[in-house]
Amino acid sequence: MSDEVTLTIDGKQVTTRPGAMVLEAAMDAGIYVPYLCYYPGMKSFGACRMCVVSAQTRTPDGQYRPIPGTPASCTTPVSEGMRVQTASSELLDVRRGIMELLLSEHPHGCLTCHRIDLCGPSDICLRHVSVNDRCVTCPKNERCELKDTVRYLEMDMDTPLTYNNRHLPLQTEDPYWEMDMNLCIACVRCVRMCDEIRGDSAITLLERSGRTLIGTANGTSLLESGCEFCGACIDVCPTGALVERDYKWDKAAKTVASVCPHCPVGCQVTLEVNKRNRLIRTIPDRHGPANRGQGCFKGKFGMDFVNRRERLRTPWLRRDGSSELTEASWHDALDLLAERLAQYKGAEYALIASPRGTNEDNYVAQKFARVAMRSNNVDVSSNLRPELVEPLAELLGYPAATNGIWELAESACFLVVSSNMTEEQNVVAVPIKMALQRGASLIVVDQRETELARHASIWMRPRPGTEAALVAGMARAILDESLDDHDFLADYCENLAEFRNSLWQFDLLKVELTTGISQDEIRKAARLFASTKPGAILYGLDTLPSDARADCVRGLVGLAVCTGNLGRRSTGLFPLFYGANEQGSKDVGCAPNSLPGHEGYSIAQLERIGNVWGADLPREVGLGLFGIVDAVRNGQIKALHILGDNQAFTDGSLGDFLGALDGLELLVVQDCFQSEITERADVVLPSATFAEAEGTYTNLERRIQFLRPALGSRGEEEVDWKILSRIAQRMGASGFDYDSPGTVFEEIVRVVGVYGGVTYDRLQAGGVQWPLTTDHPPVDPSLYGTALKERKPKAGIISLPAVVGHAAPDTPLLLAHGRVLHQPERHPQIVNQNGRNSVTRDETVEMHHEDARGLGVQEGDWIEVISEESRITGRASLSGPQRGVVSATTLFAELITDLESSDAPDPMLKVPRLPLTVARIERLTDVAAAD
Amino acid sequence: MATYQEIRAEADARWSEFTAAERPWIRIGTAMCGQAAGALEVVDALRAELSARGVDAVVSEVGCLGLCFAEPLVDVLTFNSSRMFFRNMTEEDVSGIVDLCAGADDPPMDKVLGYLGERPIDGVPDLNKLPGMSYQSRVALRNGGHIAPGDIYQYIANGGYFALNKALFEMEPSQVIQEITDAGLRGRGGAAFPTGVKWSFLVRSPGPPKYILCNCEEGDPGAYNDKGILESDPHTLLEGLTLAGYATGSTNGIVFIRHGHDGPIDRTETAIRQAYEIGLLGRNILGSGFSFDIEVSLTGESYVAGEESALMESIEGKRAQPRFRPPFPAQFGVWGKPSNINNVKTLAYAPEIIARGSDWFSSIGVNRSTGTAIICLSGRITYPGLYEVPMGLTLGDVVDGIGGGVPSGKRLKLLQTGGPLGGVLGADSMSIHLDFDEMRDAGAILGSGGIIVADEDTCAVDLTRVLVAFCQYESCGKCFPCRLGMEHLLEITERIARCEARPDDMKLMQSIGTTMEGTSLCGHGQLGFGPIRSALEHFGADFRSHLEDKRCPTGSCLAPMLSPKSTRPYAADFQPAGV
Repeated sequence: MSDEVTLTIDGKQVTTRPGAMVLEAAMDAGIYVPYLCYYPGMKSFGACRMCVVSAQTRTPDGQYRPIPGTPASCTTPVSEGMRVQTASSELLDVRRGIMELLLSEHPHGCLTCHRIDLCGPSDICLRHVSVNDRCVTCPKNERCELKDTVRYLEMDMDTPLTYNNRHLPLQTEDPYWEMDMNLCIACVRCVRMCDEIRGDSAITLLERSGRTLIGTANGTSLLESGCEFCGACIDVCPTGALVERDYKWDKAAKTVASVCPHCPVGCQVTLEVNKRNRLIRTIPDRHGPANRGQGCFKGKFGMDFVNRRERLRTPWLRRDGSSELTEASWHDALDLLAERLAQYKGAEYALIASPRGTNEDNYVAQKFARVAMRSNNVDVSSNLRPELVEPLAELLGYPAATNGIWELAESACFLVVSSNMTEEQNVVAVPIKMALQRGASLIVVDQRETELARHASIWMRPRPGTEAALVAGMARAILDESLDDHDFLADYCENLAEFRNSLWQFDLLKVELTTGISQDEIRKAARLFASTKPGAILYGLDTLPSDARADCVRGLVGLAVCTGNLGRRSTGLFPLFYGANEQGSKDVGCAPNSLPGHEGYSIAQLERIGNVWGADLPREVGLGLFGIVDAVRNGQIKALHILGDNQAFTDGSLGDFLGALDGLELLVVQDCFQSEITERADVVLPSATFAEAEGTYTNLERRIQFLRPALGSRGEEEVDWKILSRIAQRMGASGFDYDSPGTVFEEIVRVVGVYGGVTYDRLQAGGVQWPLTTDHPPVDPSLYGTALKERKPKAGIISLPAVVGHAAPDTPLLLAHGRVLHQPERHPQIVNQNGRNSVTRDETVEMHHEDARGLGVQEGDWIEVISEESRITGRASLSGPQRGVVSATTLFAELITDLESSDAPDPMLKVPRLPLTVARIERLTDVAAAD
Repeated sequence: MATYQEIRAEADARWSEFTAAERPWIRIGTAMCGQAAGALEVVDALRAELSARGVDAVVSEVGCLGLCFAEPLVDVLTFNSSRMFFRNMTEEDVSGIVDLCAGADDPPMDKVLGYLGERPIDGVPDLNKLPGMSYQSRVALRNGGHIAPGDIYQYIANGGYFALNKALFEMEPSQVIQEITDAGLRGRGGAAFPTGVKWSFLVRSPGPPKYILCNCEEGDPGAYNDKGILESDPHTLLEGLTLAGYATGSTNGIVFIRHGHDGPIDRTETAIRQAYEIGLLGRNILGSGFSFDIEVSLTGESYVAGEESALMESIEGKRAQPRFRPPFPAQFGVWGKPSNINNVKTLAYAPEIIARGSDWFSSIGVNRSTGTAIICLSGRITYPGLYEVPMGLTLGDVVDGIGGGVPSGKRLKLLQTGGPLGGVLGADSMSIHLDFDEMRDAGAILGSGGIIVADEDTCAVDLTRVLVAFCQYESCGKCFPCRLGMEHLLEITERIARCEARPDDMKLMQSIGTTMEGTSLCGHGQLGFGPIRSALEHFGADFRSHLEDKRCPTGSCLAPMLSPKSTRPYAADFQPAGV
């Protein structure tokens, strides 16, 4: 079959791919055909019949044969030589006929009124259009696809059809969204989106015939139905039937394309800003290469923080030993800072940058630390797991993910190790779930029952800390059964013999004893992963103790190498960071152990970069995040500079971080809100948010993307790179005279090798993945595709005794939190208070039967799990697979209702992770449980 | 593994025990139609009476002979006699039957319908000479009322599975298809597409797996022939399905029955189990190397589930909504695998065609409509029933000859054929032949074989609104023209029926109808205007009377409409009480 089809649409020659539908070909050729149920990126549905055309196919003997009737162009595949008419007067009449029918059920009172753009919702209407039949009272007025189509059809709206308003009550009980089924046209886009793309099937079609509408099965609340509140249904709704609750009625005065700051996926989003300079909506960009129109609860409903009144608008200073922070001018603040910072040059100073900082911010931040403060103590506050990428750099070359996110949609097998990506990096889970729908397999290694564990073909719950042994055991089983990719290993693996030898220690019996996972299960997983290609490995290592992570990543590299899942499409390794721009921050040198460009501290690099910067650079390796915290605690670091708040500061990941801050002589904080950190600061400087900044982010697939300022400033807040440059200039440092983010980026490109060739102009047109191989984006975006021969990967070597040493100590119980979308067998119930739904249900705590025996707990007993952060009361279920681990799940819905009612300035920043925590169990008497 | 000959010998032996009638053999039709008339009560009463009086007899529950007007129908075969049929039996009448079994000479003559057999009985007509039977030529229904559907051996003893054995061992799959093609068999589901050609599409598709689906959704009001076959003789369908599977190289058959049709469902499931037990289904059928599996799948109660692509969606457990085509089922069917969908009646012909040859089958019928038509006659008719007649009979033969005309001396007004999406014909249509093409040209399709008769007391407007109400209620709600158009058509026909029509209503209906016909996704919407169009054509006078004189010509429109509730006025559900 030829890979091109040429047809004629409205007399225009159009070339498209075989299998495309006529509608797609027409749209690609810039020919508008109205449609309501079709949506780009989803399968055709063929319901609205608005896109009908007339068409003739060419028979092999050169004759033209008409396709009978008026076929819908969204369901008519193109064929060579086809002739299509899209806009004859007959077709327009047919479309008008359908639209008249549609409008007989859809409020449209204002559609033909010339005042539609002038009228406010509560204006007295001379035409006697009742309020709930007006377009001006519809939240989607001015962005209604129905209205656009009516206007295109130039309808005169004098139909004799009787109009019927359904008069259904609004559904406003669930968090974040509102549903007005009087406006639904049953195009089913939302249901298809939820099924086809998101894989959640949280909403469905109800009833049939004229009563066909959208809702949840059995009339449950969205909180129970498995909704992940991604908002994708809202984004595809052509009418006002589904809308976001916040700023529901606000109209966009301008729209700006930018990047979401909540996680390292880097979803490209369109920010809508109203005329009062407020960010009112985010709509994931359908053309965004990292997200393809998808988003998540954080990006969709977690952007209001930029509008908050509590934003810091001016600098605040603690003057002369005063205990109070007082407002100050930038002039005073900078003077004070320049003077005081000068006292702490060198190892006494440390800077913790924000993962929400742009590349420009964090580049200038590390340069500020290194040049102005002569300290290499610089890190990003989300870098809690530096081991995610360090072994990748050591074994493969770059400390970064090897492949692209959307390649995963074509992967056949996934190995996910300790990652709750549905919440932390939501959109990465979308292509995975799409692939699973098409029959791909998923192996999950996690003690927690995460949402993704629900989809797993094999879910292994090893003893905490022994994941590396499990991974090595899989590699061993693969080599034992000769399931490895012999050719790949022979051609590319630099240390094959060493790797093979290292696996001798991992006798599967030993692995079984170490991990608590049976040999059979390990073999099954190994066979599945080795025989189902292409396979991708994604890991967050959220629950691993820090000393176990590096080994686990080495093991995963070994697994990827020995199965040949490297350097090819839809394969590879994906470290899943927490911070939105963590990859970019590392790239631009916001790391204690490396200059910009992952270059380490070699003499040559120091000289090269020193020359660009015109400065002599400190040579000793700096302290990382944990090192900085320790040094603050023991007084080695006297001046700390923090950019941005982070949940790591307060959730215990860094120990008692707040307490440690009290010992500092100088704490400088650049942030957009008051927080527990700013309370302790000596100088607080107001930062701009992502919505006010211009700059770049680099996402977890190494894609450099462009942020555009959507909001104008309302106070004196400033972007971090500018603040830092001004301090540096006050301190007399040279090389900080940037006049725009573009000039910063130009310097980044000069300094960071892998960013070579990237220009602001190119980024404006859409993100690019580093490294650039040519002027155009490479065809195969996998990192090592063409370079495997030159730079041979090494398989990771790990040793069993080391791994066993990582295993969590036996004595205390560890609580593994899980979070799932729905769990019908646990009978969740909805409580409606003040018109808002929240979900409750009986909790079940899963524990190992031997642990239970030791505690005198029996199946079904009421027990309480007490950890430092929480107390969970539930019934004991003795089905836990591992001694020493108790687990309990919560519903995602609870997180959502908590977030909605949260009064934190940026609730999405505080989304609790699911760590393993030390806990103890108390058995409750039935009386106590009843209380 | 038993060969066919061994199985046949076993079956013959069992059958001759029944037919020798050393113990009297009583057969009672307990299909759903019989049950509705009280057959189960008769069975219970009969068994009780037999045991109370210590009379030894075999009582079998059989399917349906098709004589609905005579249900419950009981027939008795006594030693050295012919089968005697008794009509409209009640619990009180069973003692007469027991007397007969006990050797009495005087059967209850007031209830006797006829005899069947070689020995004439005085004063009793030959069943086959009765008008209802004499026109018939029973092929697919050949066993209905004669054998117990729950006993596979009775089917085999009457020639069952001979065709399958013949095909498996003596014919290539292509020969089977050729035979079906030569027989001129056309699909009986409504579209009348040549079955052999349809099967050959599937042959060319890649597999395994490949699916043959049998459609017994049968939601048309006034159609009960598919259910009749499954209840009376499920094995003929299973054999036909297996033959189709062999011919097309398929691996699986699915019988798709409407949820709630318990009789057909139970009897089909029993038949499938029995066929597996003796090796006529499953792996390596009769040792031929051909394997085929059949299962029953149930629809939700949705008319559109009978549309072939909606049927596949329904089998997959999804909402019964039609898919768009292409791709066609032969490429992308159920579970995305090549599939072929046939009506029950179509498949039920296959065994006889293979057993007796295509020439025999094509000799029945006329023109391009070979074989028989299975007619469900109902409405205002003297002898409603399920009749299988040769193609080519006139509608007059059917209505007057078989059905005995309109009762109570009324005049025939109209015939509604082919289900609610078919059309209506006037009393002047009696010379039209039962022929797919002739019927279509006349503006009414033979379709699934339902013929509803209405007399002069019926107003065409009333009938039309009932049909439209049905179509509206059963729209699946997927494509806009059908979902919304049907609502308005119903609203307008109701307005006309109430004599409250607006001046432009006829034009409006016409324009909605045009939109629906031109743009609907499946046949439901495309044909949804058909009932109105054809009623207007034949009975425009009734409509004019409503529109111009503001009166219903028969008064029947004044009565409340007996039809499903309209599904449009959502708001009504939420009106506070008292408004």
